[in-house]
Amino acid sequence: MDIAPYALQLFSGLSRAMVLFLLSAGLSLIFGVMNILNFAHATLWLLSGYVTYSIFTVLSQQFGASPWMLLPAIVCTVALMSLFGFALERFLIRHTYTRELPEQLLLTFALVLILGDVIKLIWGVENRRINLGVKPMEMLDTLVNPYQFVIIGTGIGVAAGLWYFLHRTRFGKIVRAAVYSRSMVSALGIPIPLIYSGVFALGVGLAAFAGGVFLPLLPMSLGVDHDIIVQCFAVVVIGGFGSMFGTFVASIIVGVVYSFSILFWPDGALAMIFLILIAVLIWRPWGLFGTELRY
Amino acid sequence: MKQSDRKWDKIVDELKLSRRDFIFSTAAAGVLTLTPRFASAQAGKPYKLGVLLPSTGTGANYMAHAIKGLPVAIAELNKRGGLLGKHQVQMIYRDTETKPDTGAREAKSLILNDGVDGIFGTYSSAVALAIQEIIHEHKVLHFAATSNSSKITQDNYTPYTYQFCPDSNMQSGAVVVAVAKMAKKNGWKSYVSMGQDYEWGRDTHKGFSTSLAKVAPEVKETRQLWFKLGETDFTSYITAIMAAKPDFMFGAIAGKDAETFLQQAGQMGLFKRVPFPGGLIAVNDLKAQRKTLPRGMIGLARCPFFAHLNEPIMQAYIKRDRAAFGPDGYPDDWACMYYDALGGLEQGAKKAGSISTAAIVKALKGATIDTCRGKRAFRDCSNQLEVPSYVGEVWDSPDYPFPIYKPDTMVVVEAKEVWTPTCEAVEKLKKKRA
Repeated sequence: MDIAPYALQLFSGLSRAMVLFLLSAGLSLIFGVMNILNFAHATLWLLSGYVTYSIFTVLSQQFGASPWMLLPAIVCTVALMSLFGFALERFLIRHTYTRELPEQLLLTFALVLILGDVIKLIWGVENRRINLGVKPMEMLDTLVNPYQFVIIGTGIGVAAGLWYFLHRTRFGKIVRAAVYSRSMVSALGIPIPLIYSGVFALGVGLAAFAGGVFLPLLPMSLGVDHDIIVQCFAVVVIGGFGSMFGTFVASIIVGVVYSFSILFWPDGALAMIFLILIAVLIWRPWGLFGTELRY
Repeated sequence: MKQSDRKWDKIVDELKLSRRDFIFSTAAAGVLTLTPRFASAQAGKPYKLGVLLPSTGTGANYMAHAIKGLPVAIAELNKRGGLLGKHQVQMIYRDTETKPDTGAREAKSLILNDGVDGIFGTYSSAVALAIQEIIHEHKVLHFAATSNSSKITQDNYTPYTYQFCPDSNMQSGAVVVAVAKMAKKNGWKSYVSMGQDYEWGRDTHKGFSTSLAKVAPEVKETRQLWFKLGETDFTSYITAIMAAKPDFMFGAIAGKDAETFLQQAGQMGLFKRVPFPGGLIAVNDLKAQRKTLPRGMIGLARCPFFAHLNEPIMQAYIKRDRAAFGPDGYPDDWACMYYDALGGLEQGAKKAGSISTAAIVKALKGATIDTCRGKRAFRDCSNQLEVPSYVGEVWDSPDYPFPIYKPDTMVVVEAKEVWTPTCEAVEKLKKKRA
């Protein structure tokens, strides 16, 4: 039996999984800590992709075209977008904490439309892409894109970094505590508003990072955020809102199941993801690694 | 005294008018007769034209040039006085978001709130089919120039819709002609199909697989892969295609998805292993992917400017768009077809001597019009313009800053070679309307 096709499908599934994880991590974090279902998360990711594109273009013009220009472009974008996220929480999101969920959803959906129009005004409707000149490499008697290794490595790296941040740093521990009991954290004299602004900025920063990392793989275009946000929600619900480990595992489940479904049952690939989602919602509504307390 | 002068004297005498009175009266009558004519030439009723194209969603990148190019073309038309030299064209643009529900809502709004006389659009066939019901109900002129499911002019036929691009059967038929030749030459026996899982994708695939089975029955389809519109990650599809080890692949992929797929497939080396003849590679793809598009790849186009450089309309069009949008502003296939639609509207109104929908519809029935692609006639049973499809090899030309199709490899498949063979067959497909 030739296992190469299955190994390759697993590889492409893992690559897809890490794409989903990088996107969903910020969404999960923001909802877990702040109870805000940020519908605009993927739009912030898209905006970051455009910003990275512009910075990359400027840097390439100033210092010469090189794939390595992507790294400073991503760093600058993450910094800019984190600041934008901080301001967004301070001046807009903050006013919705005491509101009902539908009102929060409406506000973040309005952001989707506004940011979409901002992108249209600044960058126009044409797709933006960058070409790193990556050449395919041979693996298991077939060809793969070496940049997929970068995606997988980055996904694992971000997961490890987030784990370290949430479990080994003081701010991370406070964030985890806020997931379970905001009032207790507040009672200990920790300024919850600052924690919220920081978490929102971190979530947007993660989206910005994902936007830059995907740019060589996916042309940035209007509307792509609408397509991807649904899958991100599926990942976060399956993994459990607020659970970073859950989001990581759910991303792998969704990515790998989708990939193998394409091999065995292509017509039902997307349906498989939502069947898993329905099963989780029925049997474990708080997600695979979420907690019942939170639910 | 001349004979004519005597005649005028006799008339003046009979009317009992002095010569001076006669001159004043005729001059006044002349002024009164001509005044309304001059007045209407300067300010006839404006023609409201609704444009329903996406600037968001999967078709946005394909429609960008058409959306920015139409106002320039309309301004040029208005400078000549507008339709019939007196009806200024007012363009009202709406974004369909490449969604049937949004398209239908905007079509209704254009007709009921803005009172448009005609609609240009849409990009997606699913959107076109959705708005056709509204078009038919309200008897509004509709020029489709991108959405090309054969159902638009056949199964879902309405006399108000005119089609300016080759339909899905004509396009897949053109690919079949090219693929059959290659299959014979290269000994190809199997292929994998991949397409966008919606009206156009399914329709195009059906047209291709049915026609190929007739002309090359030894070539078998081993796998079908369908993906949702707006797919962002094709890696799993690409590895699945490679795993099937087909001799070639067929794709019914357009818009943003085509760009994403071509980029990711190129990075994964798919086309080094699996030939992909006949994938839609329009001028905008050639421009956008000028650095990455594999050379030698066989593409399919609908209205590539480089195939009609001898046509005066095309020459003027290229000159005007490059002047408006810079040296790289060569019109793409989609803009070119909407330019032809505007030309069709102008010529239809001229032929009808009116801007009323009923008159234009009647005038264009079976009419021959001048287009960027030469003189082309509408098929009177379906209102499908008799336009060719183009298959050719992607090649670096010294004349352009982006690749084009290599002239000696380009096959121009004429409409009559590949469209539904007879009008009887078309009539059988038409659904009964209330």
